[in-house]
Amino acid sequence: MKQPTFLLDGMPVPFEEGQTIMDAAMAADAFIPHLCHHPEFKPQGSCKLCTVKANGRHVSSCTMQARDGMEVENNTPDLNDKRRTLLQMLFVEGNHFCPSCEKSGNCMLQALAYELEMLSPHFDQFYPDRPVDASHPDVLLDFNRCILCELCVRASRDVDGKSVFALSGRGIGKHLIVNAESGRLADTDFSLLDRAAHVCPVGVILEKRKGFAVPIGQRLYDEKPIGQQMERLAARTAKVEV
Amino acid sequence: MQVSGASGVCLAMHEFSRRIAFEDVPTAGAFMVFGAHRDMFEVARNFAHFFAHESCGFCTPCRVGTSLVVRCMDKIAKGLGSQHEIREIFRIHRLLNVASHCGLGQAACNPVFDTLNKFRPAYERRLRSLDFEPAFDLDGALASARQMTGRDDPGAHFVGESQGFGVHP
Ligand code: SF4
Ligand code: SF4
Ligand code: FES
Repeated sequence: MKQPTFLLDGMPVPFEEGQTIMDAAMAADAFIPHLCHHPEFKPQGSCKLCTVKANGRHVSSCTMQARDGMEVENNTPDLNDKRRTLLQMLFVEGNHFCPSCEKSGNCMLQALAYELEMLSPHFDQFYPDRPVDASHPDVLLDFNRCILCELCVRASRDVDGKSVFALSGRGIGKHLIVNAESGRLADTDFSLLDRAAHVCPVGVILEKRKGFAVPIGQRLYDEKPIGQQMERLAARTAKVEV
Repeated sequence: MQVSGASGVCLAMHEFSRRIAFEDVPTAGAFMVFGAHRDMFEVARNFAHFFAHESCGFCTPCRVGTSLVVRCMDKIAKGLGSQHEIREIFRIHRLLNVASHCGLGQAACNPVFDTLNKFRPAYERRLRSLDFEPAFDLDGALASARQMTGRDDPGAHFVGESQGFGVHP
């Protein structure tokens, strides 16, 4: 039987039954912007960066199953405009000062902002009050940069079996919490060896005494824009990210 | 008249003879009737606060978008609004409509959008200018600096538009 195929911006993309649009695009090395998606974990569908138009309807490509003959719009001015607005929302919702951030150059949020030509935050800043947690001997948590993608939540629960992280609150007050009575990371069994210590796409979960290790010019997204790195993004696993 | 709850459609006086079909009542069969003495802008602003409060915060567009709409509506209510806020609301509405994870976010801007379209004067008479107004008060922002330096002379105040110095061209 012929392998089922859908069209991504006119390009035929083959897929296996049950694969999502995102899975198939990743396998075909075709870039769809995303933040909360990671090939190792169950899709979540919350950041909405991966929104595409499939047969005329807007859907999240990381959760939507591909269908034979589907026509998917991805890299269009209208969708990229919406994605830019979503990025601006994520930027103003937290406190992002890229020049002083250890993750700068290796950060997916920043890389997507470059990719989608976001030139300013546009909206007024929310300036939330999110104190850092420096209690752990090896890891610093800077909640100011959290985009609530729940990758650390999923990794700690599903891979490490520890459930160190969770999201709490609702609406604009939603925030990441640490599962300890004191709320401090030092009072959990979290360790640098955990999968969750290495999945954060932005600069929240940081190894202590290791900031700015790679010089500007050689960082992950200095070499190539994120739009040309789908192959690497698709190959993200525990082995390469530790 | 608001048909089918906060996320339904808002009907203006000229639509009163219109038939209400199945598509008009997506969420519930509720009706809210607002008398002629009601300010439809305040009604919509109240709905905007309701949705920001109800948003669960799971997806980006609804979590941040509903709060951004509240900010726009509050800015207009304070008399600091401009066409810029109206354009922002339309833009956020278009995004939430298609990108939100569930029906709450998809419909969150409906009452604001409908009243904006049908009761535009209620909005426009509150706008300070038809162009752009900053959300913050520059002179107010200097208050803490004045307190620290113990100054209150004219030189320590920002002279704004009203005094003849244009902040904007
Ligand atoms: S987390 Fe990313 S976007 Fe945020 S300040 Fe750091 S580099 Fe910038
Ligand atoms: S800490 Fe990082 S991985 Fe965890 S929810 Fe926040 S942004 Fe996502
Ligand atoms: S990547 Fe699909 S919603 Fe975040």
